Amino acid sequence: MQSRKLVLALVILLGSVAIMWGQSPFAPNVTGPLSQRVVAYQIDAKYDPAKHAVDATETLTYHNLTGQPLDHFPFHLYLNAFQPSSTWVHEAHRDGNFRTSDFGEAWDPKHSGSNEVTSLEVVGVGDVTKQIKFISPDDGNPNDKTVFDIALPHAVEPGQDVVFKIKFHAVFPEVVARTGYKRTFLLAGQWFPKVGVWWNGAWNCHQFHAMTEFFADFGTYDVKITLPKNYVIGATGVQTSDTDNGNGTKSVAFHAEDVHDFAWTADPNYKVVESTFNGSEGAVKIRLLTYESNQSSWQRYIDVMQGTMKRFDDWYGPYPYAQITVVDPPHGALEAGGMEYPTFITGDTFWWAPKGQKLFPELVTEHEFGHQYWYAMVATNEFENAWLDEGINSYTEVKVVDSLYGKNTSMLNWMGAQMGDTAEQRSSYLGVAETDPLSRPSYQDMSMSAYGGVTYGKTATMLLTLENIVGEQTLQRALHAYFMKYRFTHPTQEDFLRTVNEVAGQDLGGYWQQAVYGTQVLDYKVRRADSTRVDWSNKDAPDEKKGETTYETQVLLQRLGDFIFPVVAQIKFDNGETIREKWDGRDRWKRFVYVKKAKVLSVEVDPDHQITMDRDYLNNSITTEPQRAAIHKIASYWMFCTQFFAQALSWLT
Amino acid sequence: MADENKGLVAAGASLVWRRQRVLWWVYAVNVALGILGAAGAHTALNKALKYSLAGESLTKGFDLGMYFELTDQPAVNLMRSAGSSMLFALLFPLFMVFVVGGILAVYRDDRRFTAGEFFAASGSFFWRFVRLAIFSLVPFALLGMALSGIRRLSDYIGDRVIAAQTGFYILLAGTIVVVLLLLFVRLWFDIAQVRAVVQDERRMWPNIWKALGISWRNRLTLFRVYLCISGVAWAVLAIGIFIWAKLPPTATPVTFVLPQLIILTQLGVRLWQRASAVTWYKRHAVEVPADTVEFTTPAPVELVEPPAEPLANPAEDRPEPEEGLAT
Repeated sequence: MQSRKLVLALVILLGSVAIMWGQSPFAPNVTGPLSQRVVAYQIDAKYDPAKHAVDATETLTYHNLTGQPLDHFPFHLYLNAFQPSSTWVHEAHRDGNFRTSDFGEAWDPKHSGSNEVTSLEVVGVGDVTKQIKFISPDDGNPNDKTVFDIALPHAVEPGQDVVFKIKFHAVFPEVVARTGYKRTFLLAGQWFPKVGVWWNGAWNCHQFHAMTEFFADFGTYDVKITLPKNYVIGATGVQTSDTDNGNGTKSVAFHAEDVHDFAWTADPNYKVVESTFNGSEGAVKIRLLTYESNQSSWQRYIDVMQGTMKRFDDWYGPYPYAQITVVDPPHGALEAGGMEYPTFITGDTFWWAPKGQKLFPELVTEHEFGHQYWYAMVATNEFENAWLDEGINSYTEVKVVDSLYGKNTSMLNWMGAQMGDTAEQRSSYLGVAETDPLSRPSYQDMSMSAYGGVTYGKTATMLLTLENIVGEQTLQRALHAYFMKYRFTHPTQEDFLRTVNEVAGQDLGGYWQQAVYGTQVLDYKVRRADSTRVDWSNKDAPDEKKGETTYETQVLLQRLGDFIFPVVAQIKFDNGETIREKWDGRDRWKRFVYVKKAKVLSVEVDPDHQITMDRDYLNNSITTEPQRAAIHKIASYWMFCTQFFAQALSWLT
Repeated sequence: MADENKGLVAAGASLVWRRQRVLWWVYAVNVALGILGAAGAHTALNKALKYSLAGESLTKGFDLGMYFELTDQPAVNLMRSAGSSMLFALLFPLFMVFVVGGILAVYRDDRRFTAGEFFAASGSFFWRFVRLAIFSLVPFALLGMALSGIRRLSDYIGDRVIAAQTGFYILLAGTIVVVLLLLFVRLWFDIAQVRAVVQDERRMWPNIWKALGISWRNRLTLFRVYLCISGVAWAVLAIGIFIWAKLPPTATPVTFVLPQLIILTQLGVRLWQRASAVTWYKRHAVEVPADTVEFTTPAPVELVEPPAEPLANPAEDRPEPEEGLAT
């Protein structure tokens, strides 16, 4: 088509200009293209801060690389999710809330958002606005307006392009589900009409769900945003121009390549803090958009970004882009925190955040940066297999923060209390251990808490447990291989499982069947551990004497859950001897018998505490002598709390 | 009086020290209730951890992950014990309502009571103090509502301004004001209790208003004393928690003793406030010879109100009694 050449020429021109200005979207050692570019978006948007609204024109060039003619195109209109009868709100209401927003009671109009396509023209076809048809492929909800379909009078042949010219009016909600405004702050995510993905022989364009929202094709983005000139702005990609319009506004242009989404943020109160990460592909700019109030967290953001980027670079692969923008949302905008878009993430902190408490900003920032790998580059279908995105990212989060802050203190090391990220992931998994398999489409999980516990917690604990079979280093190599092979593509869960099998040199099918496709629960127990004299029936036997009397020790291990997994048991005797036994766990129980001149002291399954999927750690050991220290310690704390509460109440009398 | 020339704070402390048996008994009851309150948790923990290595991570540190697993395990259900702990905690204020009459009588007379004398005094004031406690709920509840309003206001304003700290500072300032008012209400009702004991006032409704008048007219002196003693309580609590957080996790005996010292101090400080109030009242309102007191049928004494203006420095010199002040 004629206009295709025009658009491509414009894209090349803009890209060339950006490079000339030293504004390449890539790190110094990288040259594109890195992906099979299916889409090219050009958006010219005007932001009205008073109305929290954007009026924009969008030109989308779609390159048909599917190998077959396409006669209709579905588009996402995510902001329409924020309407009381949408599927998103229905799901949020069903579970009572979404993050910090309450959806359990009456609809609050502040949560309203919308995205209206005011004009849609297909170049070569004409205006097709009236042919817009809303569809609900997932639940048939006739009131959901988050996906529309447009049928073309004639198909776009393989290898051809089609150009859509769209005018739209987007209204943002007060910040919810990581998009919207708060005072002068705006986070614009999922804000423009975005075409679906032709995948596995069909269009894949799910409605916006409370639990999932990402899947899009790679391409280029050239976005110009006009807004009041006192605003500081940040966005996906790199800034290519900043023009004062002379009327109190300015237009800022951004360019991004080999990304599959575009988000931006603006606030006149932003402070900009910059740093440089020197990775294997050269210097990457870290641009932190933050606030004066959060000054105590500025260095913490930079430190965790540096530490995280270094580990990802060393372990999994290079970060190829020129910049990563980190947004620190303002107070009261917690809903905007903890979000990922290509080359653009949002963290979270409070001005009073204590240092040993790693959730804010360290853990959030690490997690969101991890998504640059397990979402932005390895672009899996989050709607259907969120575990490949959030789950693998939770596993790498554990590895990175443990490396940065200590295995048992990576989550919390404050006021004497400690908690590692492994325990956090395990904790979220335990509550929903048997509700949903990882392989289930994520938006169909039982509830939001099940989605969270299964997608994040179960995947992380499942991979940590897998280290027992293949080894930590092998799994790291597998993730590296998976990243390098599938970055800038849309791999499936089978691609991931196959890669791990190949790198490990093992068929892990039995493990995957239980951990990924099944809901079996892993639970091993030490059922019995005791020693009796071998001469127990001899009435004339001499008195017991340590080191001389011979005992028969019985150890009985039991598999309570249906998840079969090889385990190690450690048996300690009172002569200092320690034995480690392996059990494949296939039978329901296993007995070990020892005849020694020593009595058993303790038996413990998984003595190194590495089978994090084990549902119940409390039944993993038996001792023959009472262990009272922990009991006394917790009971004394409990007693103190009772006493303190009692004396505080007595103040009222 | 032994502390006639001491300042009120010092005289109150001295009185608590001389009559420290009171403190030890109050502490003993608090400990007993604490033990009973923790018994359910102890049993649950015993069941889960007595013959298990799972507790090691709680001994060698305080692994919150393991603690949460303990609380979440249906078989252990540690949180079920919270209800019984709460119940035993609630018994303590009831106990204090009962014995505070006896405690104030001991401080009034500044002599050792027999158990019979103590409980007779406690019993004779019990219902009066129950009524006072009920009346006191009104101002306490009003202040609670005020605090809730301040919280909403701080959220409202904080949500609309750019500086993140604004809401917090509004809440902080409001909370400080409410805490000071709470302290004044506590002082007011403490004076009412002291007045009931020292003057054997039986009518609690007028007693409240007379005590309010006394407390308001002498607010500078009395409030300063209460504030000073409360400061000691807060300082000890802060230092105690600071040390507690610095202790090695394996120092279990110390982590038992330190919290108990904190509790003992908190209880002692409260008695210190009461002792100071009694001392002040005896100095500036009325004196009652100890040997004239009948606990079951206290001797009538002339009702005399304290001076209208706060004394410049009651710690240095006992002022000349004003006109109408019984001596």
